[in-house]
Amino acid sequence: MKSPRHVPTAGAARRPLATLLAALAGLSGALAMLPAASAAEPKLPIFDAHVHYSHDAWDRTPPKEAIAILRKAGLKRAMVSSSSDDGTQKLYAEAPDLVVPSLRPYRKRGEISTWVRDETVIPHLEDRLRKFRYAAIGEFHVYGSDADLPVVRRMVQLAKQYKLWLHLHGDSDAIERVLVQDPEARILWAHSGFDRPEAVRAMLRKHRKLHADLAFRNDHATGGKIDPAWREAFIEFPDRFLVGTDTFTPERWYYIAEHADWSRAWLADLPKDVAERIGWRNGENLFASMMATK
Amino acid sequence: MAFRRTEHHRGRRVLATLLFLLAPAAAAEPDRFSASELERIASHGPWPTAWMRDPGNRVSANPAAVHLGYRLFFEPRLSANGRVACATCHDPARGFQDGRATARGLTDGVRNTPGLFDVRQQRWFGWDGGHDNLWSASLRPILDQGEMGGSAGRTAHVLRGSAALACHYRQAFGKAPTAGDSDLLVNVAKAIASWQETLLSPPAPFDHFRDALERKDVAAAAAYPAAARRGLKIFLGRGQCATCHAGPNFTNGEFGDIGVPFFIKPAGVDPGRQGGIKRLLANPWNLLGAYNDDATGGNTTGTKFVRPEHRNFGEFKVPTLRNLTLTAPYMHNGSLATLRDVVRHYSDLDEDRLHADGERILRPLNLSEAENADLVAFLESLSPATPLPPPVVPAPVPACRAP
Repeated sequence: MKSPRHVPTAGAARRPLATLLAALAGLSGALAMLPAASAAEPKLPIFDAHVHYSHDAWDRTPPKEAIAILRKAGLKRAMVSSSSDDGTQKLYAEAPDLVVPSLRPYRKRGEISTWVRDETVIPHLEDRLRKFRYAAIGEFHVYGSDADLPVVRRMVQLAKQYKLWLHLHGDSDAIERVLVQDPEARILWAHSGFDRPEAVRAMLRKHRKLHADLAFRNDHATGGKIDPAWREAFIEFPDRFLVGTDTFTPERWYYIAEHADWSRAWLADLPKDVAERIGWRNGENLFASMMATK
Repeated sequence: MAFRRTEHHRGRRVLATLLFLLAPAAAAEPDRFSASELERIASHGPWPTAWMRDPGNRVSANPAAVHLGYRLFFEPRLSANGRVACATCHDPARGFQDGRATARGLTDGVRNTPGLFDVRQQRWFGWDGGHDNLWSASLRPILDQGEMGGSAGRTAHVLRGSAALACHYRQAFGKAPTAGDSDLLVNVAKAIASWQETLLSPPAPFDHFRDALERKDVAAAAAYPAAARRGLKIFLGRGQCATCHAGPNFTNGEFGDIGVPFFIKPAGVDPGRQGGIKRLLANPWNLLGAYNDDATGGNTTGTKFVRPEHRNFGEFKVPTLRNLTLTAPYMHNGSLATLRDVVRHYSDLDEDRLHADGERILRPLNLSEAENADLVAFLESLSPATPLPPPVVPAPVPACRAP
């Protein structure tokens, strides 16, 4: 009744020997049908577009350890943001080849719902943007008409000034309002807004510079098989989606590797080219390239 | 005349009750209930609920199996060192818990031992729901190298060494416990489960209050302490506790992330429900396997469709709130020592630990010390008012009684 240490392995005890033999024969037949190279094929690289490394994470998992987790997971790169930004800078200093920094407007966790009305956010952003290099501002949370508040407007201007992406966690209304402020704004829509695939496709059709991450959602794939509606979205917009873990608590750093494997499993259900683009090439093209050329 | 006066008083009491129950301003009063609240209070009973045998366990409610299960539950020789029994952690004197933060079998574990009262009502078993049936959940600790470290051979040896145990095994399962019997361990687990299914907690002060409201018995309802009444209002209202702690057993039987850290020592994390689902689906003793005795397959729906999701990482089972005074400390890792600590956890909830699109109902309750005490008083009212007697020893079946 308590926590397990070992999963029992005994099984199939009631199956007659003949059944087991038949099953084994079937298994060997199935194995023979797999591409010969599959066993030796290297794991698909992953660009994880949604990693946080806030103060409680770096207390528990210091930068060297955190970087080891990312490398062990087979990540090609990770876009990292943190509250405060110090966490991002610690990781970037440890592994500039692996970490793509993004600047959160939050100086500490707990500002998710207050930052949009907190004018002290602006000098914070301006100060950090002068001092450090970033590919994006975010992840930040904003919904509906809050996107038109002065703090958000100024942040959108700063993104334009520094040619940065906006990693926006919010609804489609907030996206629309930001794009009215700056029609050329490049937005990575966190969690694809937790919208239905049809609604996400409509937004991607409407806004050619809108991209979407799939962090913390499962509805697009089950057991390595992609939902038909999502498949249509991925095939229509292979250059517009990215994957991400969302390490919103420090414990979730220990889920990065499993999330990468989970992503590889469903990406394998797509044409190879599409899988590579969603798995890592889009991230490389959109974000990593910015850090390389600055 | 006296009779009439009594009737008159009774009439006034009934009127007062109706006002008490239905006054429009009731919701604003600290210890009065609106019609909506009364409806929700009623939904937490009656108690006990109707008992049903487990269709997945063919010896559920079988007297020979119940007796055998009882004996084996307290049998340390099933363990590798001969000193650890199920009852080592599931102590009857503590609501079938051990009072420790985390369990200790052969070695130290990482989770708090859950109590076993009313375990028959559960849908998933263990803090991570790694089992979909009680017999499978009872089998795992016997084999677990950190808990009992037992084996089928050791179990068969114990059974064969006791005429009474062997007889009850035969009576329950229709065959002798032989060492080579691959079904033996599962059968033993089913017998232990059948005994645990008999562990029912008696009505608590809340149940008497709830029933009194149903009967509109003001005098009986008045016996329920005012502090518990105020706590109940918080439970139903501001706290939204009943959203998850629903029904007569005060649980929806599912899992949640309430912001309790889930790191484990010395390193790593307890994945909770996410890992539990993976274990469940890989378990040969789940309800989709050959050992489910429900020929209709009617009990397999949950297991057929459950799949791990990202949000499950760090989720743990919503526990029953009954018998809490017997089962401290609290939470999946026993990290909160008292009920006051538990209430304070929700009062000062760290929202940063919750996903913005996750547990949307959870917000810091910001309770005053007095409100905190009221909520604790309500929770305490879900436990028996007096110490529970030891569990009833199930009688041996007649065929196995010594001449």
